[in-house]
Amino acid sequence: MAITDNTNFEPKILAFCCNWCTYTGADLAGLNRMKYPDNIRIIRLPCSGRVNPQFILRAFQKGYDGVLVCGCHPGDCHYTSGNYFTRRRFLLMKRLLEFAGIERERFQARWISGSEAGKFRDTILKVTEEIRALGPNHRMKEADIYD
Amino acid sequence: MARAGVFICHCGSNIASVIDVEQVAKSAEQMTGVVYAATNKYACSISGQEMMKQAIIDHQLDRLVIASCTPRMHETTFRKMLGKTSVNPYMLEVANIREQCSWVHTDKEKATAKAIDLVRMSLAKVLKNQPLFTSSIPVCKKCLVIGGGIAGIQAALDIADGGYEVTLVEREPSLGGKMVMLDKTFPTLDCSACISTPKMAEVGAHPRIKLMSSCEVSAVSGYIGNFEVTIKQNPRYVDHDICTGCGLCEEKCPTKLKSSFDQGLGQRKAIYKLFPQAVPAKPVIDAQHCTKLTKDKCGVCAKVCPLGCINFADQESYTTDTFGAIILATGYQLIDWGSHYPEYGGGAYADVISGLQFERLVNASGPTEGKIKRPSDGAQPKSVAIIKCVGSRDVAKAHGYCSRACCMYAAKHAHQTIEKIAGAQVYIFYIDVRTPGKAYEEFYDRTREDGAVYIRGRVSKIYEENGKLICKGEDTLIGKQVTVEVDLVVLETAMEPAANSGQTAALAGVSADKDGWLTEAHPKLRPVETQSAGVFLCGTAQGPKDIPDTVAQASAAAAKVLGLLAKDELETSPMISAVDTSKCSGCRFCEQVCPVKAISMIDIPSIYNGQKVKRTVAQVNSGLCSGCGACSAACRTGCIDLLGFTNKQILEEVDALWQ
Amino acid sequence: MTDIQNILRERAHALLDEGKIACFIGWGATRFNERAMPKFIFKAEESSSLVYNEHCLNTLAKYTLDFQYGAEKVGLATRGCEARAINRLIADGRLSRDKVYLLGIPCQGMLEHGKPADKCVFCRHRNPVVYDELLGEKTIELQNPPRFESVLELENKSDTERYDFWQKQFAKCIRCYACRNVCPACNCLECYTEQYRTGWQGKQANTLENSVFGFTRAYHIGDRCIECGECERICPMEIPLMKVNRKLVKDVEELFGVEESGLSEDEIHALGSYNKEDLEEFM
Repeated sequence: MAITDNTNFEPKILAFCCNWCTYTGADLAGLNRMKYPDNIRIIRLPCSGRVNPQFILRAFQKGYDGVLVCGCHPGDCHYTSGNYFTRRRFLLMKRLLEFAGIERERFQARWISGSEAGKFRDTILKVTEEIRALGPNHRMKEADIYD
Repeated sequence: MARAGVFICHCGSNIASVIDVEQVAKSAEQMTGVVYAATNKYACSISGQEMMKQAIIDHQLDRLVIASCTPRMHETTFRKMLGKTSVNPYMLEVANIREQCSWVHTDKEKATAKAIDLVRMSLAKVLKNQPLFTSSIPVCKKCLVIGGGIAGIQAALDIADGGYEVTLVEREPSLGGKMVMLDKTFPTLDCSACISTPKMAEVGAHPRIKLMSSCEVSAVSGYIGNFEVTIKQNPRYVDHDICTGCGLCEEKCPTKLKSSFDQGLGQRKAIYKLFPQAVPAKPVIDAQHCTKLTKDKCGVCAKVCPLGCINFADQESYTTDTFGAIILATGYQLIDWGSHYPEYGGGAYADVISGLQFERLVNASGPTEGKIKRPSDGAQPKSVAIIKCVGSRDVAKAHGYCSRACCMYAAKHAHQTIEKIAGAQVYIFYIDVRTPGKAYEEFYDRTREDGAVYIRGRVSKIYEENGKLICKGEDTLIGKQVTVEVDLVVLETAMEPAANSGQTAALAGVSADKDGWLTEAHPKLRPVETQSAGVFLCGTAQGPKDIPDTVAQASAAAAKVLGLLAKDELETSPMISAVDTSKCSGCRFCEQVCPVKAISMIDIPSIYNGQKVKRTVAQVNSGLCSGCGACSAACRTGCIDLLGFTNKQILEEVDALWQ
Repeated sequence: MTDIQNILRERAHALLDEGKIACFIGWGATRFNERAMPKFIFKAEESSSLVYNEHCLNTLAKYTLDFQYGAEKVGLATRGCEARAINRLIADGRLSRDKVYLLGIPCQGMLEHGKPADKCVFCRHRNPVVYDELLGEKTIELQNPPRFESVLELENKSDTERYDFWQKQFAKCIRCYACRNVCPACNCLECYTEQYRTGWQGKQANTLENSVFGFTRAYHIGDRCIECGECERICPMEIPLMKVNRKLVKDVEELFGVEESGLSEDEIHALGSYNKEDLEEFM
């Protein structure tokens, strides 16, 4: 494995955001002209409950250095209960990923409401820095295994 | 082969000042599946839309990526535009390069690169989009209102006046709810019954309202526009079709009981009307106390009834009807304070009464004909203590919430006492005084000017001594213990959701919060809607509130229902779940996670080992499905999928930047 | 064990003879002394070919799926692992209880290569949790077998060590899918791996795709694994699959308080339910 200088490393991070809270919060961050790193790519979904844990594995496999799942705060789900299932699924998935050897910072989940633009920005800042510090992900990554 | 068109919006300078839109268009043109890419000054403008429509024709586009502002802003606009073209409105993806790119990044090069990435992701998704079609469901133009208090009455009248049929279900033998029990309403002091009974009569006489008293909802199925509701008619033992309400039976009935309407302070008979102006103005028999029904003795009512309306063999019966909308107006009840507050005597002292009991005492048609008398000895109290927040704002003993109406009716009770009893001394124990309403603060001020003494603090103990009630508490403003000696104590007790309101709401798929109040769809912007489409709520079922707020909410719910019933058909979103039955194992995981009970199991014919068999698979009710996709994430095989956000589409989006 | 073998033959004979069942699934002898194999008996007189000894390693329950649509019942020799597997299949909507007749067997644990079998040493349910009749006296259950010892051992290592461990294991995988085929929790009509149109993952048998398969399968059965150990026993490449399965069983227990799976046919799945007060350790 090549030794990388992480200071010039720009991680690619994928975020799955629910349409009603976090995606709205991200839009609000834009409306307020908040600034955050451009390392994030958002996939909009109706609900964090739509996120199949297999999507996370796929993101690492393809080359993302970090993955974030965001939804409404528990109790605020647009569909009443979606994020309660999300919470269980990813509590288990996160532990499994760590057991598989993926560093814990690489996969994270957050509740960010439609009004929490600041929290959205802070989350992106923090997660980007954490992953930048870790360096590029080579674990369970397709390109590295085929090369 | 797909023929995708990509349009990059400048949004004036909102996007173009940070992102090199021409560069994005140039990159997009190179992407697989793209036959045309262009920039557009304002994609959402009429001219912008015309330009895209023309491009669809010129380049025979079959799908679009529009890179612009957030899809939450203009996805609908662009879908509507596509509705007028040969492209299916759902063959569209919007790449958010404004709110989530140009507005949050400053480095032009990086922002442009990100915008290209976002276009690439949207393109990957749109290449897997399928044309989707909205379908329509017919709307049954009838509304069910559950609860016949002022909220239900107002909603029913508004809808019926709007021209639609309403069925109003009330558990009690009469309409009226709590409002009709009250004496006067704050801050105007107009007589509560005088303003509510005409509305009750109007409901009773309205040609488009079917009033079902002594009834309860026992089952709800179906969905918006088409709810199948089963209503249970509890036995009344009086044939209301024949009865004229002459009152002979009630007069002759020998069994006397405490009246629940008078809060136990007055009496009624075993065959009774809830109160004189009851609607329907016809009596029912209290089966628990009628000696004919309990001991097979008496039967006087049947003997005196000139029309033979009495039917001791009456049974509960069920009817089923279809409704397009449902309003939950199940109201509140007062806390059983005795079990929570043993320090106030727990109900042992006859002269410690609730605010609602006081309303009956002070009411001209009440048991004392409006004279304030002590329940214990009938004497006129010269001094009265009013204690607020009994059960409210008291997490340790009962509820954490504020019951909202008590500050005002406590002031009203003080005012009425001072007005009716010359020289009466009134003490009001309070935590805070909250008067947020038109003319409320002025009413409170007047009460203090009348001479009511406000003491800031909770009462810690009430006990009896020499025929007087001693209230001990702390005046927290001066930090001293206070003891007042009074003849009567009025407890302004907390509102609670009406008994079984949670169960009734659950039948219609509506949940309750931790205190049991029914949950609205959004606390600010959808206050009378619920998570169940077609089910609305109003009044104190949703949370404590006073009469003006209740009535306003009832009319709001009615407006929502009128808007719904005005439609002949409802368009359903096509972005809902669909099952590939050839792969479904029938494991029911999707059913378990569905928040709206849209998934059920069905047996389908299948072939197994050359034999015809029945196999259980999931099916989605398109009227109920709200398109959240929880089922899809729960399905291991992936055979239940969310149209518009399919597994394939999402996987392509994930892969897009790594080809 | 000879006693149980005799009663088993006797009862299978009677059930077939009376026409109560169309087939009985048990174990039969092989040409090796130290192996038994699944045996399907359709005639009463064949019941003498059933065996029950310390080599009956196969958990038989999944074979009942072949009879799920038939008009007649199937009889099954049912130990703790079979019983939990039957509950698993019923809870997952793949079998109805009235399709099976369960002859319960209190199990003493099996031998594999002359030693107590791996799948049996951590077993907490040697007695069947569901049966129609129990052959013999209930046996004493193992008290707190250290099921999670090997999980803890790996948990305590570094990320890199764990990653390397699993990559080394999955490098061996030949994607024969035997683990999936034998697993009573892997009972989908069609596995996600075969949804090529959706393309959940590649078909290639390389370390990456193998580990994606391995972890996905583990997650899919995470809240439903009955710890029968068949996947690990059957794996021709000796991948320690129960280590990751038990990891999930342990986490489900720690996170959601759902202790074990397959103990009843109407169990609530940990991922199909929620508690508003669930932990939020990833916050």
